[in-house]
Amino acid sequence: MPEPAIRIAQMHKYYGAFHALKDINLEIAKGEKVVICGPSGSGKSTLIRCVNRLEEHQAGDIVVMGTPLDDNVDNIDEIRREAGMVFQNFNLFPHMTVLENCMLAPVLTRKIDRSEAEKTAMQYLERVKIPEQAHKYPGELSGGQQQRVAIARALCMAPEIMLFDEPTSALDPEMISEVLDVMVGLAEEGMTMVCVTHEMGFARRVADRVIFMAEGEIIEQGAPDQFFDNPKNERTKLFLSQIVTH
Amino acid sequence: MADVIQPPKDSFQSRIKARYFATRRDTVITVVFAALVAWVLWSLIDWALLNATFAPNAGDICREDLHGGACWSVVSTRWRIVLFGLYPFEEQWRSAIACAVMVAVAVLSCVPWFWSAKRLAPLWVVGFAVFYILMRGGFFGLTEVTEQNWGGLSLTIFIFSGTSLLGMPLAIIFALLRRSKLPWIARTMALVIDTIRSLPLLSIMFTFAIVLPFVLPDGLTGDKLYRVIIGYALFFACYQAEIIRGGMQALPAGQEEAAKALGLGYWHRIGYIVLPQAFRNALPPTINQFVITVKETSLVTIIGFFDVMASGRAASGTAEWNFAVIEMYVFVGLIFLVFVFSLSRYGAYLERRLGVGKR
Ligand SMILES: Nc1ncnc2c1ncn2[C@@H]1O[C@H](COP(=O)(O)OP(=O)(O)OP(=O)(O)O)[C@@H](O)[C@H]1O
Ligand SMILES: [Mg+2]
Repeated sequence: MPEPAIRIAQMHKYYGAFHALKDINLEIAKGEKVVICGPSGSGKSTLIRCVNRLEEHQAGDIVVMGTPLDDNVDNIDEIRREAGMVFQNFNLFPHMTVLENCMLAPVLTRKIDRSEAEKTAMQYLERVKIPEQAHKYPGELSGGQQQRVAIARALCMAPEIMLFDEPTSALDPEMISEVLDVMVGLAEEGMTMVCVTHEMGFARRVADRVIFMAEGEIIEQGAPDQFFDNPKNERTKLFLSQIVTH
Repeated sequence: MADVIQPPKDSFQSRIKARYFATRRDTVITVVFAALVAWVLWSLIDWALLNATFAPNAGDICREDLHGGACWSVVSTRWRIVLFGLYPFEEQWRSAIACAVMVAVAVLSCVPWFWSAKRLAPLWVVGFAVFYILMRGGFFGLTEVTEQNWGGLSLTIFIFSGTSLLGMPLAIIFALLRRSKLPWIARTMALVIDTIRSLPLLSIMFTFAIVLPFVLPDGLTGDKLYRVIIGYALFFACYQAEIIRGGMQALPAGQEEAAKALGLGYWHRIGYIVLPQAFRNALPPTINQFVITVKETSLVTIIGFFDVMASGRAASGTAEWNFAVIEMYVFVGLIFLVFVFSLSRYGAYLERRLGVGKR
């Protein structure tokens, strides 16, 4: 069996005394697309934030692209470079232009020279269809455009894995599809993706697997068709019915 | 868009009328105050310009002057003392160039192109080095002039720039330590900062100038001037550290997280993401801190340095000129005004330009 992209075994996460993640076991293969859903506060963000050590887990193992996530700073940096992340609130750097946002990390951490980094950045900005905004500041862009820049910025590091934490939930409805289109394109090229989202259309279309979480546990998982049309667990059924009736 | 309705524009006269002459009482108040202001202004002009004596070495004329106009003669005769203190007369051109260099450095720092540590730091270090070499001499065929003979505006500029150059990096270090994840480092730093901030600057200066030499081994005491600058810098750093920390706290947590997620290490995150934005947030109080520091430099007179303020007093302190003290103070006051006023106008301009509060 080939080494999976992400392997999480018997992982527990506490916020102080609060048990946020309970005995998480999860393997995500290279090239696999996984959608995580679940009610608010169920630990979805916490789970993917543990993968690149934005949150520290207290027990169990996390291995990303063969690198164990431990207290070794080099390992952490290595994993962060291999796993790009896209946030709900974009988190672009407001004091830098779009292009500078995209070039910063490659130049600083991969020691690529600036002209090379700029070429790559422009390539990805074209991929997300906003090359003409390269010299603007994030504050001058719409939410959808900012999120596409955030995706391009992460891709400039040439990551093996992309983590998305509700990338469309801060967006106005008319901008959601432009971001989802970019994500679908990425999926079709074979990127390993872990995506927290409630966009069920997107999940059906690109996910290989849908994971349902509640109260810090993985309750149910399966292929999208089976998951949506034939959920086994009562809570999954309840959750799905609430989403549909929305 | 020609048909956009414009609000009717009040004429200048009608606005004046509405504002100052609306009622009989308003009219009376306006007239009284206008008369008062006119009288003060006229007396001032009369004193400072019309009846004043400008020519150098005209002390006798001033003394006999029955109209009582200002005697700017004291300034035109003795301005060199105010600017250069006891610096040797033939070498004062060095002091003048040194001051001009440092002022140029300060002005250049206000240009946005210089707003990165990579440009600001060399600018200040080189500017300060040029200043020091010119003032101190002993190199390149320049005669040596020791710090004891420095004075006037050039000493004030030296203390101010030394304080800034030393204090700003120190402030950044203090702010970072105070934010440290290790609680004992953060707490110790907080204690140090709060302690120093709760002491009067004067007591810190005395400690560094007078007490420290008793405590330190002989080789480490150094010149009193430098000890005082270190004291100033420490005081400046503690206030500025809190200002920077405030700027950091205004940053959304997502900024550092995004930088972490991109694999940027601690120093890259601090240098490229956190500090640039923190300084932008903290620009108005930072400029305010510089203004305060400029003014506080005149405290050094108390421990025997002739800064611009003390030099002014000395310049008008001789038997020949002791009647013209006010004129001298006005002159020194104007020098401070030029520096401080331009700094605060610049601060106001920046606030508008950066739209602090909006973004
Ligand atoms: N920094 C924190 N400190 C303490 N508790 C936290 C922290 N972050 C999250 N939690 C708690 O952990 C639980 C899981 O939070 P998490 O943000 O992972 O949920 P989520 O599934 O992403 O929810 P949402 O859909 O609202 O984003 C919640 O109960 C939350 O209150
Ligand atoms: Mg969340």
